[in-house]
Amino acid sequence: MAMTDLIAQGLAGGWNVTDAATLTENQTLEADVVVIGTGAGGGTTAEILARTGLSVIMIEEGRLYHQKDFKMDELTSYASLYQEGLSRVTRDGAIAILQGRCVGGSTTVNWTSSFNTPDATLNFWADRFGLDELRPASLQPWFDDRKQRHNIAPWEVPPNANNDTLRRGCEQLGWSWHVIPRNVKGCWNLGYCGMGCPTNAKQGALTTTVPGALDHKAELIYGLRADRLVMTQDRISHLEATPLQADSVTPSAHKVQIRARHFVVAASALGSPALLLRSDIPDPYQRVGKRTFLHPVNATVAEMPERVDPFHGAPQSIYSDEFNFSQGVDGPAGFKLEVPPLHPSMASGILPGHGDIMNENLGKLPWLQSMLALIRDGFHADSPGGVVSLRDDGSPVLDYPVTDYLWQGLRQAYLRMAEAQFAAGAKQVRLVHMDSSWYRNWSEAEAAIKAIPMELHRARLFTAHQMGGCGMGANPRNSVVNGLGQHHQVSNLSVHDASIFPTSIGANPQMSVYTLSARNSTQLASRLTA
Amino acid sequence: MPTPTAVTDKAPDYGRRSFLKTGLGGALFLGGVSMTAGLSGCASAPAGLQSEGPASPTSGYEFRFLSSDDIVLFEALIPAILGAALTEQPDLRRRQVRTTIETIDAGIVQFGNANQQELRKLFDLLNFGLTRATLAGVWSSWENASTDDARSFLERWETSSIGLFNNGYIALTKITNASYYGQPEHWSQTGYPGPPEWAVSALPQFQTHS
Repeated sequence: MAMTDLIAQGLAGGWNVTDAATLTENQTLEADVVVIGTGAGGGTTAEILARTGLSVIMIEEGRLYHQKDFKMDELTSYASLYQEGLSRVTRDGAIAILQGRCVGGSTTVNWTSSFNTPDATLNFWADRFGLDELRPASLQPWFDDRKQRHNIAPWEVPPNANNDTLRRGCEQLGWSWHVIPRNVKGCWNLGYCGMGCPTNAKQGALTTTVPGALDHKAELIYGLRADRLVMTQDRISHLEATPLQADSVTPSAHKVQIRARHFVVAASALGSPALLLRSDIPDPYQRVGKRTFLHPVNATVAEMPERVDPFHGAPQSIYSDEFNFSQGVDGPAGFKLEVPPLHPSMASGILPGHGDIMNENLGKLPWLQSMLALIRDGFHADSPGGVVSLRDDGSPVLDYPVTDYLWQGLRQAYLRMAEAQFAAGAKQVRLVHMDSSWYRNWSEAEAAIKAIPMELHRARLFTAHQMGGCGMGANPRNSVVNGLGQHHQVSNLSVHDASIFPTSIGANPQMSVYTLSARNSTQLASRLTA
Repeated sequence: MPTPTAVTDKAPDYGRRSFLKTGLGGALFLGGVSMTAGLSGCASAPAGLQSEGPASPTSGYEFRFLSSDDIVLFEALIPAILGAALTEQPDLRRRQVRTTIETIDAGIVQFGNANQQELRKLFDLLNFGLTRATLAGVWSSWENASTDDARSFLERWETSSIGLFNNGYIALTKITNASYYGQPEHWSQTGYPGPPEWAVSALPQFQTHS
């Protein structure tokens, strides 16, 4: 049986949920705390604060979709659940940005991989950013707490053939591999996590913390875009927001004002810096929007001798950290190896090419296996990250320089992925790169990859993990918030999302967001209820 | 494992790199085109409900972003982008092209204002005669362009050493391919069977009353 649709049940049971598109006049609201964003950070924050009896209003720019809407269809899901209808890119168009835009944020569409923040990353933050309180031992109780809240455990079902190819490649080459912990409960192993979980098995914000907050009298207003935080003297007095019409893109004529004692921004590594920039929040050292990280992703595709059916089964269940921290936390760019699912529309958008060749390549979809690498950015002086700024219409845009340091990591990743695919028995392998052909064996691939131009627009790059831009640190000169997510300059402002990471994570980030948000919200709740 | 320093890089092409790095070249360049196209009266208003033309059966689809010029552009490009994916049977082929253009339009509506403006610049550049000829290398109007013309154009932008053209190529092919292969009618061409039937029949959202 499918798990209960908590959203449908709660809506029927009288939750305080408003579709901003239905508002017919200006509104002025008030709460103890406004939480902007309902993803991993916002959901966690709202639930923890609401449980202590504080009045909480959650606002979300995207719309509320739940089980009734999740029909395992790519086109409708990509158009409705992702930022900019899945067309978001960096300013120069070189990196495609996959990011959720709906209640639950990216946790509604992610592939459920749930890793603790690596020890090496936390220790690096402590050493470089004065975040001693975030050493692994101090955070462990919070990881345990969130593991329970989101039902996180290594996937017990055998991996699908797509993931098993990574396992076999690693086995053959003597590389380490492990089973991915997933945040699911009663998962049907269907393979549609990226289109919204059709069975309510995924334990993202949509099925855990957002319902938890609403059960404790929090209010949710969706289809509402946060325009700016308005300061009165040295504090924020209220939020100004614009309702969007039911098409989720057209602004309505009305305005919403929300007054509160405290404001928590959890609008993502693009959205949160953008909101602070639009609001002219004090930023004496010009840190807002700086050091934005992406885990830049490159990928290879293999044609396997047996069917892989990369569209079915838990999308991610095996990973390898063989090359992630092996040359030191701040050495040459390390990377985590995983696999992506391939459905027809996404596959046709990822594979470069057109015409008969594209048709022929896609005709092999059941035999195609893909690997991806998450490049661990932000740990080296030559990986300073990108910069979020505002477009004319106030929306965020990211400039992300792919430095030679990163290109070297990306080339290494192409090599290792192709090597693993051939080791697992691939008939042929190609890179997701405009200048790649199909390579028939590892030595041909190795020679070609060493010579292929590593350049923007030729190498096709992606990101599903946006981090930084409101980085935390002990020193206000190089950070926006402190180790508790509190803004250095504005006392009633906190940031609780992936934007506070001072580097990338080196693993899929949802668990890091859940964990830091839980810790920081618990602290915040005790301050506000003191 | 070879060390990263052992990897040989292609000789850097500094002219191209600086052009791409500033990004400004691209923005000014496309911005200029868009303005020129606007002044010269390119039709860039949404086509709305199209009631005329051979490729517009009575589907009742209302275009919200693509202009009538854009539709002609895609009618010319789609046979080259989709190649053998399109059937030869004329009526069905017309329908495949038409539904793909409608799917593209519906997708773009969700892109939001900023990316719509980027696409508007791209489509204006391709629709405006002077830039169509000089930058895309297509000398006849899209209405009269052959599939070979369209194919040559795509290959020029695909292999161009100018990142901006690569980008335009990716935008056109990605949005078309994703819109075509995402349609359930075309899944079978990829061997994708769709969601497992046992799950569809067991889940409430697929039952008629949901």
